[in-house]
Amino acid sequence: MSIVETRVLLRHATDPKLATIDGYRSYGGYSTLEKAYGEMEPDTIVNELEESGLRGRGGAGFSMGKKVSFLPHGNQTKYLCCNADESEPGAFKDRELMQRNPHQLIEGIVIASYAAGISHAFIFIRGEYDVQADILDRAVAEAYEAGYLGRNILGSGHNLELVVHRGAGAYICGEETALLDALEGKRGNPRLKPPFPAVQGLYGGPTLINNVETLSNVSHIVANGADWFKSFGTEQSPGTKVVSISGGVRRPGNYEVELGVSLRDLIYGLAGGPLEGREVKAFYPGGSSSPVLTPAEMDLPYSFEAMAEAGSMLGSGSIIVADDSVSIPHMALRTARFYHHESCGKCTPCREGTNWTVKMLERVVRGEATPMDLDIITSVQGNIIGHCLCVLGDSMAMPVSAMVNKFRDEFEEVIARAAINGLPTTEGLESNGDGFEPGPDGVGLEVLQRERLMGRPVPESAQAAEELPRG
Amino acid sequence: MARKVPNRITLTVDGREIEADEGAMLVDAAKHGDIEIPVFCYEPKLGQPVGACRMCLVEVEGIPKLQTACSTPVRDGMVVHTRTEQVKEAQNAVVEFLLVNHPLDCPVCDKGGECPLQDITMGWGADRNRMVDEKRHFEKPVPLSPLIAIDRERCILCYRCVRFSQEVSEDSQLQLLERGDRSYVGTFDDRPYIAPFQGNITELCPVGALTNYTYRFQARPWDIEQGGSVCTLCPSQCNVSFTIRDEQVKRVIARDNPEVDDGWLCDKGRYGFQAMYSLDRVINPLRYEEGRPVPTGWSEAIDLAAAGLAESAGKTAALVGDASNEEGFLVQSIVRDGLGSADIDCRQAPAASRETVIAFSDPAISARTVDIDTADVVLVLGTDPIHSSPAYDLRIRKAVRRNGTALAVATDRPSALDGGATEVERYAPGQVASFLRDLAAGVASGSDSGIAGLLLGAEEAVIVWGERIGRGESGGEALAALLELSRALGLAGKAESGLIEIPDVANARGLREVGCLPDAGPGLSRTNVGRDVEQIRAGLESGEITSLILFGVDPLRDFPDTDGWRRALEVAGHVVCFSMNATATTEYADIVFPLESHAEKDGTVTHPEGRLQRVRPSAKRPGDIRAGWMALAELSAAIGHETGIHSAPEAFEAVTIAVPFYGGLTDVKIAGRGIRWQDNEAASLFAENLASASASNGAAASVSVGPAGESSPGTPGDSRPGDESPGGPDQKLTLGTYRDLWADTTTDLSPALNYLMPAQRLEISVADARRLGLSRGDDVSVTAGETSVNARVALRSALPEGTCFLIEGTIEGNANVFSNGRPARVEIGKPEVKLDLVAAGTAAAGEQPADGNQ
Repeated sequence: MSIVETRVLLRHATDPKLATIDGYRSYGGYSTLEKAYGEMEPDTIVNELEESGLRGRGGAGFSMGKKVSFLPHGNQTKYLCCNADESEPGAFKDRELMQRNPHQLIEGIVIASYAAGISHAFIFIRGEYDVQADILDRAVAEAYEAGYLGRNILGSGHNLELVVHRGAGAYICGEETALLDALEGKRGNPRLKPPFPAVQGLYGGPTLINNVETLSNVSHIVANGADWFKSFGTEQSPGTKVVSISGGVRRPGNYEVELGVSLRDLIYGLAGGPLEGREVKAFYPGGSSSPVLTPAEMDLPYSFEAMAEAGSMLGSGSIIVADDSVSIPHMALRTARFYHHESCGKCTPCREGTNWTVKMLERVVRGEATPMDLDIITSVQGNIIGHCLCVLGDSMAMPVSAMVNKFRDEFEEVIARAAINGLPTTEGLESNGDGFEPGPDGVGLEVLQRERLMGRPVPESAQAAEELPRG
Repeated sequence: MARKVPNRITLTVDGREIEADEGAMLVDAAKHGDIEIPVFCYEPKLGQPVGACRMCLVEVEGIPKLQTACSTPVRDGMVVHTRTEQVKEAQNAVVEFLLVNHPLDCPVCDKGGECPLQDITMGWGADRNRMVDEKRHFEKPVPLSPLIAIDRERCILCYRCVRFSQEVSEDSQLQLLERGDRSYVGTFDDRPYIAPFQGNITELCPVGALTNYTYRFQARPWDIEQGGSVCTLCPSQCNVSFTIRDEQVKRVIARDNPEVDDGWLCDKGRYGFQAMYSLDRVINPLRYEEGRPVPTGWSEAIDLAAAGLAESAGKTAALVGDASNEEGFLVQSIVRDGLGSADIDCRQAPAASRETVIAFSDPAISARTVDIDTADVVLVLGTDPIHSSPAYDLRIRKAVRRNGTALAVATDRPSALDGGATEVERYAPGQVASFLRDLAAGVASGSDSGIAGLLLGAEEAVIVWGERIGRGESGGEALAALLELSRALGLAGKAESGLIEIPDVANARGLREVGCLPDAGPGLSRTNVGRDVEQIRAGLESGEITSLILFGVDPLRDFPDTDGWRRALEVAGHVVCFSMNATATTEYADIVFPLESHAEKDGTVTHPEGRLQRVRPSAKRPGDIRAGWMALAELSAAIGHETGIHSAPEAFEAVTIAVPFYGGLTDVKIAGRGIRWQDNEAASLFAENLASASASNGAAASVSVGPAGESSPGTPGDSRPGDESPGGPDQKLTLGTYRDLWADTTTDLSPALNYLMPAQRLEISVADARRLGLSRGDDVSVTAGETSVNARVALRSALPEGTCFLIEGTIEGNANVFSNGRPARVEIGKPEVKLDLVAAGTAAAGEQPADGNQ
């Protein structure tokens, strides 16, 4: 396996000084911003971004340049929101980008705001990213002090206020319109689209919403040009991508690669493949909301278009590997439970569909289901997909549906075995993947975490068990 | 912002070509082609669509995903399919999802039979249930408020009630709590939902989740009949439909009339029907013998009443209040034609002269109610619609919220609309005339600040003003200044602009126009000038008037100067009282005739915007109650004046003949939604007959209008009487009074509304309270001269220093004892010690709450 990372966003990331403005500048940071203000017209920047073909790194993969160009011209108040509410299970790339290189993000935000004539920007960061929010706060203060934020930036006449806003920890607030509602101080519920945020977003004004990684790319594109950017990746998926790989692999972590490298290179090469004696059984290619793929699809290139063609999606670029110790029905239940827990409840198919699916999958693992129930599960997922107000419902329906279809035999087997034993089956499995199973000493992992958070002592054996990789 | 006329476009739905307004939502446009697209959350009255229930998914050609028809504006050439396999699957799916957690307890649910969820399930759902798992459970039903029960298991989370609370009534009390399928509708901290429009959510609810305690288990939809009528409990005259079972009203629901009420109803209109069946209802004629009421037959009662009236012919007066146009017309006919008197009034306190009434009734300066929706500026002057005419409160809020209308509020008491207002100006009680003079002068001089600036910057302006500004010594000046203001703004003849008066009683406009005024006969014609309400009172006291007809009025509760009225009624020789209920006033009557309620009456009323609406009989008259027109026609005949009226249609015909500008109006023209007489052909007769009067008024009205010396607009408090400073050594405050929505007989007699009956409270500014050493909840006495009432202190930060307010119409401590036309200067002191043990006990418990353990 000869694959190596192509580090653009994570370049110099190992240097802890990079998180400070001086460290960032020592690697040439903010020179692009100075160049942009000094010699570039906003329209030129927009053209460059559009030309580069940079696709949104948050999940939908929509062209970033196009999004900017949708914003109306004119003097009305426009907003930029950086979506740092990275809540998708399996995704942790934004966390590292913000933690190691916050100024790269800030520089991108300032340049994008300058290009789109925006004077108010927000970073909406999930509340759990406390450390990263502190780092951003410090970095933003440094940038204000250095004159890269605030009034009349570098004498250009452009003003930009940047606020770091901590979310309250709801997955749905990563949905762009729910994020806007939450930012406005309302209940974080998705809004009806159209109108799209570019037309009517935050406080009713035109709003540009982009992911952390997308905005982190901006300074590099503006510095080196669209052609340079397009020299990485594939024609439809240009550039590099920070991929979060987790699950049953030897070296989980973030890897920055050109888009279009093969999944095998990522999973077996960079992440070291499955643990000793294990095999890959299935994997989510783009976070827990992407339909699972099987080892048969291991040689596909990792790009937006190839993943879509395979019936899945690249999403936020988070690969979760399930090895042969994982029970797929339990994984399906765990996935469904997450989305059931996070559904906002505004639209019917998602609210009731996630709830019903969880109840049916619970019956599956309890052995109280029949194969006909598997048909109902698939049919219910079909009833959710495409009928919801936002994509949260689809995010559960697509992977659950894929798991039932691709691993139907295993579902039937689990039903049959559980029915015979009369008990939930964890036999032969290290983990049933749903997080609620009794761990060592009969203490569930969630219970364990809660105890520790509350400062109570936890059994040593249980502590050790917690360190073990979980399915 | 003039009303836009949208382009007409053509679209195709299910193969049918449909013409519709461009930009209309597909759900609404499809109706023009008789195509129904099912909806749960969509309700245009609640504002922008939210697309939450997903019931209305349809296929639009050219868009791959199904679209919500409730939020898709139609375009020319659009092709839509609502019955394809793909759409049917989606509809089946949504119905199935909605029923996942719905208990399906239809057989015991009040909504069963009139339930959109049932209808849509039958029409668009699958016929099989695949859900075998346990449904979610809540404690049920629990009170959401004293009036409404909530069954959260039945709730399908359509958000309608929450949106109503947040975006229509703007009380923001209802919230969606929790998340996902654990979501439920509730209030902060489970507090009761107390708001004046809450009943509307029971009508909005598409399932049986929100039910009225007054209607739970009272009837099934197949037991009932609906009777359309008009609510006459306030000047808003909302259109209602009475739910009748066993000939009794069981429920009142809104009958959507966008030009009158927007389909909303206040809780008084909705729950006040209980008063119709109260034990205090007068259900047969009564005569008083030695102070005790004796039930009497109709013919005997009419003979007695007629004999008494005939005896004092020429010395008779009449006061009219809660009456239809026909009843008002007949009363004035009895007084003028039958008894040869000119002493009749339909107002509670002396107000505008005939000329002024004519000037304000002029179609040229009258606004339509719907003009508020699109006006650039709405000025609310001297009235707080939430108390005087609740439907207007909602309409003004809608204009501000949806249309961006700039709202200006000029009142003496802080109003419920202040929060959404662009400009708020306060004048001291009784100082409205000088305020209006300054405002008119500001407009005339082109001021660019304050309310004057706002009004001048408006293309279309609507002024919603309260009848009360015309009360008192300077009332005439105030009305003249208001006319001057409308002239300065050029409101006459301007489209979608003008004035709307909110009168004190429901049918005030109609009663004036049919001749219940001391100086104007039917059609506001010139007539012998008689005594107005205050002169009638004085006349009774001095013995110049010896007999009195009271038709639907209760002077001892509603009129200023309670003590004066008590003296007058005590010495009155012969009092004939028409009343729905036994009141303090009926105690002084010689004969009491029962009155019909608005669910029983057949007649017409005139809305403040000039719309004639028909009150239709829906329920049976309890006991031996007879139609009001019939009683009056018989009484008239008994005193020797034959009216020739023998039926309700004849009574209405007589009105349309007597009032020239009502000419040609018929039941057919009035129909279900009423007709503004200004829109009828005969309206031109108004100008022809009355132009000279109006013009002469124009001359008379040009009294000194200019900046009034010491006061300037825009600084509340500056227009206080100059001679006494608020913090002066006398420690006196200027008292204003207002009529609380709930301080009336309807609230007293409707058990459901009882809890809203306000106790007397003294609203006082924080600064004055500090100066007087008072804090919230203190019991005080409010004294002016010899008169005093007890009240409990309520602090209001929005109240200007030096003024205070009391409520009119409360059972205890009615503020009407003070308001005899002049603003009173009152002293605040320790409450009078009461010997009433119960009251004393309550007060003691209030002072020492720590002891209230038992």
